[in-house]
Amino acid sequence: MEIEKTDRERGITVLRLEGRLTMVSAPRLKSVIDEAVDSGHPRVVVDLAAVTFMDSSGLGTLIAGLKKARQADGDVRITGVTQQVATVLALTNLDRVLRAHPTVEAATDGW
Amino acid sequence: MVARTEERRLRALAALNILDTPREERFDRLVRLTQRMFDVPMAMVSLIDEDRQWNKAEVGLGHRDDVPRSASMCDHTIRGDEALVVTDPAHDPRFASYPGVAAEGGVRFYAGQPLHAPGGARVGSLCIVDTRARTLDDNQLAILRELADFVETELARTDELDRAGELQRTLLPRRTPHLPGYDVAGVCLPASAVGGDFFDWHALGDDFQVVIADVMGKGIPAAIIGASVRSVLRGASRFNDVEVAVNRAAAALESDLFETSTFVTLLAARLDPPSGTLTYVDAGHGIAGIVSRDGTAHQFESDGLPLGAPAWEPWRADRVVLEPGDTFIALSDGLLDLFDTIEEAREAARATVASCSTAQEVVDVVAAYARDHHATDDVTAVVVRRHDVA
Repeated sequence: MEIEKTDRERGITVLRLEGRLTMVSAPRLKSVIDEAVDSGHPRVVVDLAAVTFMDSSGLGTLIAGLKKARQADGDVRITGVTQQVATVLALTNLDRVLRAHPTVEAATDGW
Repeated sequence: MVARTEERRLRALAALNILDTPREERFDRLVRLTQRMFDVPMAMVSLIDEDRQWNKAEVGLGHRDDVPRSASMCDHTIRGDEALVVTDPAHDPRFASYPGVAAEGGVRFYAGQPLHAPGGARVGSLCIVDTRARTLDDNQLAILRELADFVETELARTDELDRAGELQRTLLPRRTPHLPGYDVAGVCLPASAVGGDFFDWHALGDDFQVVIADVMGKGIPAAIIGASVRSVLRGASRFNDVEVAVNRAAAALESDLFETSTFVTLLAARLDPPSGTLTYVDAGHGIAGIVSRDGTAHQFESDGLPLGAPAWEPWRADRVVLEPGDTFIALSDGLLDLFDTIEEAREAARATVASCSTAQEVVDVVAAYARDHHATDDVTAVVVRRHDVA
């Protein structure tokens, strides 16, 4: 899985993922998010539009990243969410915590 | 005597549950390392089955097609405990006619170290093959033995996974409870040897509690967390109602779940058998409900978060009554993968309950469906049916 990181102003960083987000690639995403938060970019947008498959490990990593980001007064927001991912988020009620946005711009709104 | 030894050998090989499994990085990396260490074009981990050589891992061959045992040099390797080194296979009466050797630019060097199953049976070999003539000195033979030890450790690890799976199965309820006026059934089918799903049930005084849970992730890490959740929830349930029990269990598990970046969806339902009152807490589980005697479905709606979610919101219990003839059913989300939409999955569950007359029948249908459709995630189902009045 590829992770393309673009740092922006106001502590924002955008992570564009491509490929499969599973048990194998999730730890790498976790370190990238942790690093971003630790280096002054706790406002993380994760763009999942090019993610071909995501399982619960991927979701777990986004949730763990979100906890850490919120502790630093930031957040993790997601964009490019597929029907499959949206269903799991709704089923577990995690959509109330890990918010999906239609675009990266919409996700950074208010930051 | 020879036949019996071979029988034991084949049983030991079968018990490894390794034949015809996909490639795995933990074996691939060992053959790559072996290839580099000896600077050969080909290296493989082979297993010798009844009539064939099957390769778990290979580098340089480009495929893992079966080789008939009669054309396999590795078959000779397993006949002894020492490495088999063949420096001139083209002029060796044992191998000269083998297709791999006889071919133009074929095998001119082979060295194989036998691999043992945990009980000692020789099941295959770690081997290197070259198209150039060469030899191996004592130091190199020692290295090949060490690498083979690594491979044996990995073979045993597969075995260990199976034993972990067996243990996990013993933690699931094995007996259907004696609950007059009700029948109860459950099934848990992990996607691999061990999984993150579990279900539980137990009596609490006159009440009966049922739990279905799904630890995020798969395999051993999820199973370990699952075992912990099961215990903590059992402990908290003994002295508290189901709402307090879930909240207390969640608090107790919070730091473990944080440390492991895990969350757990769960549904805990406590039944008062005489009245049929079912008090339940749904922590992000989402796929549960009642199918009434007349076949209509009443789905549980809940906005409870999973345990380990990054926001703390106290869980609230809801209440519903199981009338005679009603059935409570809870399914894990692994089942959803087998349907196009969640609505289809729910309708299939409703229809199944409506058409079966016992909880066990429902559970059997779900299990068969999961197997037939090759579920890739853990699949769990729990069913509690209240008997109809005569």
